[in-house]
This record gives sequence, C-alpha cells and structure tokens, in this order.
Amino acid sequence: MEEKITQKDRTRIQAGIRGKYRKVAQSPGGLFKYPTGRAGLEGLAYDPDQIKRLPEPVAASYCGVGNPFSLGPVNPGDAVLDIGCGAGVDTLIAALMAGPPGKAVGVDVVPEMLARAEENRRLTGIENASFQQASGEKLPFGDGSFDVVISNGVINLIPDKASVLKEAWRVLKPGGRLMIADQMLADAPPRDPAVRIDKWAQ
Amino acid sequence: MLQKAGFKEVEQVTETGFDSSPATQAMLFRARKLVLFDLGKNDPAVQDAMATYQSFFETVYAEGALDRKTKHLIALGASLAAGCEP
Repeated sequence: MEEKITQKDRTRIQAGIRGKYRKVAQSPGGLFKYPTGRAGLEGLAYDPDQIKRLPEPVAASYCGVGNPFSLGPVNPGDAVLDIGCGAGVDTLIAALMAGPPGKAVGVDVVPEMLARAEENRRLTGIENASFQQASGEKLPFGDGSFDVVISNGVINLIPDKASVLKEAWRVLKPGGRLMIADQMLADAPPRDPAVRIDKWAQ
Repeated sequence: MLQKAGFKEVEQVTETGFDSSPATQAMLFRARKLVLFDLGKNDPAVQDAMATYQSFFETVYAEGALDRKTKHLIALGASLAAGCEP
C-alpha cells in the first residue's frame, strides 16, 4: 500500500476498531465470519488440555484467526508479549506455558477488551499474566524485554504496520521469536481510499 | 515488511482457514531476531559462516541439564577470566 493514510483516516480507523471491539468485548458471537469462543479454539487446534483449563466465559471470549502457539514453543521461564491481546485468551495460555518463572504481558488499545482480559485472568486464577493499555506501534517496554512476541488477528487492523514490526523486533531479546496469525489481502486492496478505510476492520 | 524490520528466518507457515472476508486469507507467520546480525550481510560466505555459528550458539545455550541462565553465567565468568573484550 503506497498511499499515505492521513491523520483523519487514522482517527476513523481507530474509532471503527474501538467501536467494533467494544461489542466483541461483551461477546464475539456472531460478529465474525469464522468460529469464535471454544469452537474457535477447537477449530484452530489449540492444545485440548489448555482449552480445558479455561472456564467457560474465558473460552467464550476467544476470537483469533490462528493458533500462534503452533509456530513454536513457549519455554518455561520465557517472557511473552501478546500484541493486541483483546480478551487475553492467548496471553493467559502463554502465561500457563511460561510457568511461574516466566510471564505473559498483553497490550491492547480497547479499554473494554482490557477489562474483559482482567476479568478472564481473575476467573482462571493465573498470576503470571498482566495487561496494559498500549498500541503495537509504540510499545512501553525496553529493548530486548521478551523471548517471544505473539499476535493474533491484530496487525491487519493497525495503520502503521511497519512500526509494529519494528517495535516487536526492538522488544525481542536476541534469539527471540515472533509468532503471528493474521489476515492477508488475497486480492488488491479496494482502489477507492474511502472504501478501503471503511473495510479496515471488516 | 518483516525483513525490513530486522527479522530473519521469516516463514509464512500455513493458512488457517479462518478468513475474515472473501478478500483476505488468515495466515501463520514466524520470524526470529538473530543473536548476531547485520555482519557481512552482502557476502554469502560470511552469511553461511554466521548461520552455522548461530546454529552452534543456539545448540550450546539450549535448555538442557543446565538451564539457559546458568550456561550464560558460566560463559560470562569464563570470558571475564580470559579477559575477552566485549
């Protein structure tokens, strides 16, 4: 995409995303073209033992597009970052895999999603996970803070993708791994910029 | 875009089938931040040597009978004793 996105466009995109995900925070059911909740977790072949560990309201809040954990291990002791953690299901699973010596941190821009993530954390009793409000474009962490960075269906929503990837690289330790699931455009994007912005959070 | 951000070993692993629209496809990607990077990036012989060294480095420091932290501390002690420059 060579066309620049103006600040006005950015504001519209952000408003669209926050509006949609405010609803998703209550329940993702029916808001996506693919399965969400426990059906989503099973459809994407998450580890059944991990799915079992999640209380019903936590599993029901899941809306990812892939299983980032299928791309590589989260080792005990690892520090994991989840960019665009939403209701935090992946963050909580990462925290389980990293165990008490490790930790998982989730960041998101939608306050309602972060509130849902905190509630989910409380329901699972997982202590080595935390959530904070931040954008992938500007991460509030020092260089080399994490062993693994995951993201699930989020980067497609962020206007400045190059910044997110550079930030992910910056906060990874040398040897660190990036594991992402996301939507790719299969065709050329709509020519009309107004249509493209409208379709951003489709 | 991943490579421009500094990542190496970038792989588009597979589709997931959870497409959000007819115009998009959900994919799984992984990439790595190498331990040693940007050295001799235009020289294939150097790149080959660096990749081999990288692989050796990761094997040596992988979790095993000793955990990663212990291994790094031993290496640090050894390099200090040997007077290695950073």
